[in-house]
Amino acid sequence: MDNLSALMEGFATVAQPMYLLYALFGVFIGTAVGVLPGIGPAMTIALLLPLTYSLDATAAIIVFAGIYYGGMYGGSTTSILLNTPGESASIVTALEGHKMARLGRGAAALATAAIGSFVAGTIATVLLTLVAPVMAKWAVQLGEPDYFALMIVAFITVGALLGKSVSRGMVALALGLFLGLMGTDTLTGQQRFTFGVPNLADGLSVVIVAVGLFAVGEALYVASRLRHGPVHVIPVEKGWRSWMKPEDWRRSWKPWLRGTAIGFPVGTIPAGGADVATFLSYATERKLAGKHKDQFGKGAIEGVAGPESANNAAASGVLVPLLTLGLPTTATAAIIIVAFQSYGIQPGPMLFQTQSSLVWALIASLYVGNLMLIVLNLPLVGMWVKVLQIPRHYLYAGILLFGALGSYALNFSPIDVLILLVIGVVGFFMRRYGYPVAPMVVGMILGPMAEDRLRRSLTISQGDLSYLVTSPFAATAYVSILVIVGLGLWLKSREKRANAELSRLGEEIREESQSQEVN
Amino acid sequence: MSPSSVGPPGESPAPGGASPQVATGRRADPRGQDPVTEEVPLTGGTGPSGAAAAHTTAAPRRRIGEYVVAGVTVALGVFVIVDAGTIVVPGSAGTMGPRAFPYLVGGLLLISGVLVLIGLLRGKFGEEDDGEDVDPNVRTDWKTVALLGVIFVAHVYTINLAGWPVAATLLFGGSAIVLGARPWWRAIALAVVLALVIQLVFGGLLGLSLPPGPFLEGVSLFRG
Amino acid sequence: MTVVLAYAPGDLGTATARSAGRSAALLGSKVVIVNATRADRLVDPRWADEAELAHVIEILDEAQVGHEVRHLKSGALPADVVLEVAEEVAAELIVVGLRRRTPVGKLVLGSTPQQILLRANCPVLAVKA
Repeated sequence: MDNLSALMEGFATVAQPMYLLYALFGVFIGTAVGVLPGIGPAMTIALLLPLTYSLDATAAIIVFAGIYYGGMYGGSTTSILLNTPGESASIVTALEGHKMARLGRGAAALATAAIGSFVAGTIATVLLTLVAPVMAKWAVQLGEPDYFALMIVAFITVGALLGKSVSRGMVALALGLFLGLMGTDTLTGQQRFTFGVPNLADGLSVVIVAVGLFAVGEALYVASRLRHGPVHVIPVEKGWRSWMKPEDWRRSWKPWLRGTAIGFPVGTIPAGGADVATFLSYATERKLAGKHKDQFGKGAIEGVAGPESANNAAASGVLVPLLTLGLPTTATAAIIIVAFQSYGIQPGPMLFQTQSSLVWALIASLYVGNLMLIVLNLPLVGMWVKVLQIPRHYLYAGILLFGALGSYALNFSPIDVLILLVIGVVGFFMRRYGYPVAPMVVGMILGPMAEDRLRRSLTISQGDLSYLVTSPFAATAYVSILVIVGLGLWLKSREKRANAELSRLGEEIREESQSQEVN
Repeated sequence: MSPSSVGPPGESPAPGGASPQVATGRRADPRGQDPVTEEVPLTGGTGPSGAAAAHTTAAPRRRIGEYVVAGVTVALGVFVIVDAGTIVVPGSAGTMGPRAFPYLVGGLLLISGVLVLIGLLRGKFGEEDDGEDVDPNVRTDWKTVALLGVIFVAHVYTINLAGWPVAATLLFGGSAIVLGARPWWRAIALAVVLALVIQLVFGGLLGLSLPPGPFLEGVSLFRG
Repeated sequence: MTVVLAYAPGDLGTATARSAGRSAALLGSKVVIVNATRADRLVDPRWADEAELAHVIEILDEAQVGHEVRHLKSGALPADVVLEVAEEVAAELIVVGLRRRTPVGKLVLGSTPQQILLRANCPVLAVKA
């Protein structure tokens, strides 16, 4: 009951009007950027990291949690109302949801996505509440080599699975590790890779690297091949009644629960994030559809309800390793770690003891944010669609400006803004040639910690390398790398094949509807 | 019947016939200053169609870029390993000094870079990032990227010279115009307003010490 | 001789289409429907879809006038596109719709009809919603 009272205290914190406003701000911004093409939660949180200079830790973390959740909700709106080819996580929703919208059932698709997200988000947050403290308690017993093993697991899974190509993911990871090396060695005070530049003596700021890769790099890349052309929004019928018919409820509730059951565990293991979960859920729903099976590809509500729930449940699942072990498994999680670090807080098993009130306020804000999102989202669809009318040139100019502002405000030194540009150009080339950027940020954050653990382990063992692998936990971790990577790659290849099939299906639908319009 | 000509056959010109009338004589650099008018089928070319083709057939110049990036990675790996040897190891360093981890990182850079190179030689090219605002069918517009870079550098150097609001106007207005905002004066006007609002909110209210510059030095509202 | 209709979807667009149809019938000329987008945003409410264009054509058919559709994506501003088409087809009349705009709105967003009114070389018929 100890945790329950801590959670209640968290609710008491979040219920203060000021924090409620921050939560509202977070989910609002999060939904807007989720709706907007080209901006994801990772980029947004990176751009808003300067908030950490003036807000207290609880407020900032509440804002970022809101953005994280809001982004998940907003994405579904875009993929249902516009058939935009976007991130792989939303391809499934785009296919079934957009088809539903074309059939005049857009409101039902939006509703089942939003309610499913709410149900999944809430159940997953309950699971997080139950699992995280237990996990943290257990993780406290881990020794130095165990942590080092965990970090190796994170490195390899993130490097191998967050991109489309394993070798390119490893290059990105290694680049991140290299950036993490820059600065003064904490144990011996020696400068490493500072090239005599005084600004680098304290190391490269993770904030600059995150903003450079996620905001500046992305803006440059989009600018290099800017899409020209508007897309049609499918108008959504107004009124509560058209949202969900009794039959829609009957057909949706099981996929919601199944999506949650699939999404949460997939989110907790470092297996490539939410898109694997949505794909798995879609495949499951299709298999279990029974008499509705022929509707798949033509606007089956199960194909929206399941994957959207899985998406949100996975988002909560990601928070388990983040809060209990300090391991980021997605790009957004990595940026949230940066936010914690800028307050001098290191996420890890001790977090539940040392920063108890902050963690529980964060968890409570997830419950509150979910509630806000469902209230905000459905009635405001019209407004979110208006957001899509922002001209691209102002959008990307704004991203560049806020990125520059954030890194300038770090030390009020123009050199930092120049470094930001250099990182941005690196990010541009990485995107251009298919290197994922997320492993780079993860490598930069975890690299110094991993080195620290490794050196402490070897000091304890007086140089005996076998000490690193002899603890039962570490040994299990190293074995599980093989399992996770193997499983992850297998899932990815299946996902790729399914995606190819899906986009072919989408193509047919598109041609079909086009010829219908002309005739 | 092409979707672009909607009128009944008797009234409308041949499919696509309308567009050259408007566009002839004006077709210039597609992304340059001269606006180009084109008639389009309804879907606006925004569908995923054709994306696959662009991914599989890489242009020769793109391939060279791939080799350069992988080569730079390998070179960086070699550099890290060599430079790690120059890190001073104090006597108090313990079992594992400050050199060991850099050696590992350099090795990882080297190995993964070589793996990418081997992949390239066997014809495995990278898939570019896709995104909702990215058109997979157009060629990389280096001019825009270069111009954005120049504007960014100019921004960096004007912060201390002319103050943050001026530098911000330059960055926002300049990038918007480069990205296609028309007419230019509206982009600049918007940039000025945005820069002043940010200066006011972050500098004046939140206390971030953004330099207001010589023009606004006297206005206490803009100072942190 | 032709009448150029600067069309944007909506009630105002329907009203301008009706006026264009009537004017063209009086003048005994055909209507060139111009609908343009700068294609600089993901969703442009002023970009007509097939159904909306078909609706305009229906209106013009009822007025028993000939018509031609110019559905254009252009880097130029919409006013420039309309004026250019008007020049090219030697229009004797341009029909535009006027919306109420606040002064601030006019400053920030500009006004396409205003540009057309000021710069056209032929008479302009402004239709109010």
